[in-house]
Amino acid sequence: MALLHPCSCTTPPSPSPILPFKNWTPNRLLFTSPALRRRFPPNRLPPRLRAALAVESPAASGKNRGGDSPEILLEVKDLSAAIAESKQPILKGVNLSVYEGEVHVVMGKNGSGKSTFAKVLVGHPDYEVTGGSIVFKGENVLDMDPEERSLAGLFMSFQSPIEIPGVSNIDFLQMAYNARRRKLGQPELSPIEFYGYISPKLELVNMKVDFLNRNVNEGFSGGERKRNEIFQLAVLGADLAILDEIDSGLDVDALRDVAKAVNGILTAKNSVLMITHYHRLLDYVKPTYVHIMEGGRIVETGKESVAKRIEKEGYNAIPAA
Amino acid sequence: MATPVITPIIRFNPYASTSTSPSPYPSNLPKPRFQIRPTPTKLSVSTKNHSLAAAASLSDPFVLQIAETLEDSLSTTTPPPPLLQKLRDVSAESLLSTPWPTRKDEPFRFTDTSFIKLSQIQPVPSPPQPVNPLGFPTDTQLPNLVFIDGFFVDSLSQLPPLPDGVFVGSLLSLNSEAIMKRVSEFVSNFQGDLFWSLNGVGTPDLVVVYVPEGCRIESPLHLRYCSVEGVDSGSKILPVSNPRVLVVVEKGGEVGIVEEYVGGDGKKCYWANSVTEVVVGEGAKVSHSYIQSQSLNAAHIKWTSVRQESESTYELVEVSTGGKLSRHNLHIQQVGPDTVTDLSTFHLSFSDQTQDLHSKLVLDHPRGFSRQLHKCIVAHSLGQAVFDGNVQVNRYAQQTDAGQLTRSLLLEPRATVNVKPNLQIIADDVKCSHGAAISDLEENQLFYFQARGVDLQTARRALIFSFGAEVIQRLPHPFLRKKVESDIKELLDPAVKGFK
Repeated sequence: MALLHPCSCTTPPSPSPILPFKNWTPNRLLFTSPALRRRFPPNRLPPRLRAALAVESPAASGKNRGGDSPEILLEVKDLSAAIAESKQPILKGVNLSVYEGEVHVVMGKNGSGKSTFAKVLVGHPDYEVTGGSIVFKGENVLDMDPEERSLAGLFMSFQSPIEIPGVSNIDFLQMAYNARRRKLGQPELSPIEFYGYISPKLELVNMKVDFLNRNVNEGFSGGERKRNEIFQLAVLGADLAILDEIDSGLDVDALRDVAKAVNGILTAKNSVLMITHYHRLLDYVKPTYVHIMEGGRIVETGKESVAKRIEKEGYNAIPAA
Repeated sequence: MATPVITPIIRFNPYASTSTSPSPYPSNLPKPRFQIRPTPTKLSVSTKNHSLAAAASLSDPFVLQIAETLEDSLSTTTPPPPLLQKLRDVSAESLLSTPWPTRKDEPFRFTDTSFIKLSQIQPVPSPPQPVNPLGFPTDTQLPNLVFIDGFFVDSLSQLPPLPDGVFVGSLLSLNSEAIMKRVSEFVSNFQGDLFWSLNGVGTPDLVVVYVPEGCRIESPLHLRYCSVEGVDSGSKILPVSNPRVLVVVEKGGEVGIVEEYVGGDGKKCYWANSVTEVVVGEGAKVSHSYIQSQSLNAAHIKWTSVRQESESTYELVEVSTGGKLSRHNLHIQQVGPDTVTDLSTFHLSFSDQTQDLHSKLVLDHPRGFSRQLHKCIVAHSLGQAVFDGNVQVNRYAQQTDAGQLTRSLLLEPRATVNVKPNLQIIADDVKCSHGAAISDLEENQLFYFQARGVDLQTARRALIFSFGAEVIQRLPHPFLRKKVESDIKELLDPAVKGFK
C-alpha cells in the first residue's frame, strides 16, 4: 500500500498530518470530521505504518456511502491488554477505526492477538485492559459491562461457542432478545410471539426448527455451532458484528450459508469485523480493509490484495514492523 | 429389654435352622453374589448357636423399642399373608443385631440421624379413611396407586384395565399362585441396613407390581406416596410410615414406574421410611422416576434395591428437594451379563436440609454398561449434600464400561457437600471413569450470556436452573418433567434472588 502513495511516507509529522491528503480526497467531509483526526495519533506510529494507515482514510471514503456521511462506529486507540491472571501482555497498542457499512478483516498468525482483540472489545473477563481506549458510537466501552456492550450493539461470535447444557436455544435467545426489548423500552415478547419472530430466521442459516429446542451448543457439530452464532446475530442484530474465525471448521456449503447470512445482515449502517485465517471467506464477503496483526499490533492495512498475498506467500512476506 | 417380643419371631424363622452360611438367604435360591456386604460390620443373625442372651446383648435397646412399637401397631390386623410374615420375621431377626447408626459408622459419617433418634417414634396407626385428604389431583391420566401414610389405598387409586397377566396391587389381593410363587422368591432376598429392616417389620402391606414375560405396559405406573399424619415441629413425637413395593418384570417385559413422595402442608414433622425392590428380568426394561418433595421438617429414608438379570436395562432419574433429612440408599446388583444401568440424580438443598445419596452398583458379570450422573445444588448456608457412589467391578465383570460423574454447586458460604465417588475394580479388562466437580457457576457460561446482553443475575438464575435441568430433562414422561421444572423454579427463586 505504501507503494501506491509514496508521498505519504514523506509527510512530516505535524499537528494534523492527514491534512495534506485533503486535496486529492474524494470526500472532504470525512476529513473535516474531528473524530477522524483522533484516529491515528501520529507520534506513536513508525513512519511506514503511519503511511499504511493514512492510506486507509481516502479509501474508506470511497464506498458504501449513501447520501449521509457515514458515522464512525468504533474507534480503538493504542489499546493494550494483558491476560488477567498472568499479566502477560498480549495487545500492545492496537489502533483501528470502523465506520458504518464497512467490512474489516483482521488476519494474522496464531498467537498474534486477533482473538484477544475481539474478546477485549466485548469485555471478556480473562483479559485486562492496560492502556488505550475503545469508543463505540461515542461511548467509552471500557466503562461498560459485557452485557451493556452487547445491548449497545456490539456482537462477538465466539471462536469456540460455549455449551450450556440445560438451556434450550430458544430460551437463551428469548432471554437475550427480551433484554434488548427492555433496554429499548419495548414490551417483552412471550414465548409464542418470540417463536413467531425467530422461526423465519432459521432459513438464514439453513437450520431446522428442532434446532431451537436443542440445548445451546450442546452436542453441536463444529459447523452447527458456527451457524448458531450467526443465527444469534441474525436474531439479536448488531451495529458491529465481530466474527472470530467464523469460517474455521466449515465445509464449503456451510461456509456459503454463513457468508450469505453475514451479507444479509450487512447494511449501510452496520459493520463487520472478521477475524480469519483464510482468504476463502473473502470470496463471499468483500472486505473494505484487510489488517494484518502481528505481536499485538496492527502492522499492515490494505485492501483485499493483502489477504491474497498472505494466502500465497504466508505471513513471512510481511516486512518486519 | 424388649426380648420377649422378639423371641417368638426367631422361633418362627424358617431359615435360622437351615442356613449354615452367614447369609439369611434360603439355600434353595441362587446365592446372591455380594462380595461385600453393604454393612460389613453387621453380625448376621444366622449364627444361631449364639444364645439369645448374646444376641440381645448386641441389640440396641432403642432399635428394639422401635421394632416393638412397629409390631404392636400391626398386631390388630388380621394375620398377614405368609409372605409378609416371612418378611417381618427376617427383618426382625436382623434388627436384633443392628444398632442405630452413628456418625462413627462409615455409611452415616456425614449424615446425622439423631433428628429421628431424639424423637418418640410413633407408627401411624390403622388404615386411614378412604377420603382424599390432600385433594390429590385425581384427574391424572395415568394408572396410579395411592399410599397414605404407608398404607396402600385402593379406593383412591385408579387402575385402568392392564394387559393379561399383569398384577398391580396389594399382596392381600394377589390370587394367582404362580405370581405369588415368583414374588416369594424375591421378598426378603436382600439385606439392607437398619432402615431396610425397620421397614420390613413395620410395613402394613406389600404392594406388588408384576409384569409377565414379554409384556410391555404403555403408560407408566404412578405411585403416589402421601404423608398426611404429621406433627408440628418442636413436638417430640414423630409419626412413621413404612410403605413397601416390589416390582417384578419378567423376561422381555417393560414398565415405567413413577414414585412421587409428598407431604401435607410442607411444615409437618414425620418420617417416611420407604422400600422399593425391583427385579428386572432377562432383556427386560424398567424406567424408574423418583420424585421426593416431602415437607421440609420431615425425615425421608428410602431404599431402592434393584436386581438386574442379563441384558436388562434399568434407568433411574431421581429429583429430591424435600425433607430435612433425606437419604436414598440405592443398591443395584447385576446377576447376568450385558446389563445397562443408567442413574441420574438431582438433589437440591435450599434450606437447612441434608440430601444424601448412597449408591452401590455391583457388577459381577461381563459387559455391563453403566452411567451415573449425580448433581446437587446447596443453596443454603446450613444445607448439606452427601454422595457416596460405589461401583464394584468384580473379577468376572470383564469388559465393563462404567462411568460416574458427580457435580455439585455450592451457592452460599458454608454450604456443604461431601462426595465420595469410589470405584473398586478387580477385573482387568474394563473401562471405568469417575469424576467429581464442586464449584460455583462456570465463568465462561456466564460470560456467554452476558455477551448476548443478559445481565449477570438473570444469567446466574438460568444457569442454576439448567444445572438441574440436565437431570430433569432425563425424566421420561413430559407431564412429570413439566411439573418438576416448575416446582424447582419456584423453590430456587428466593435462593437466587438472595444471591448477589
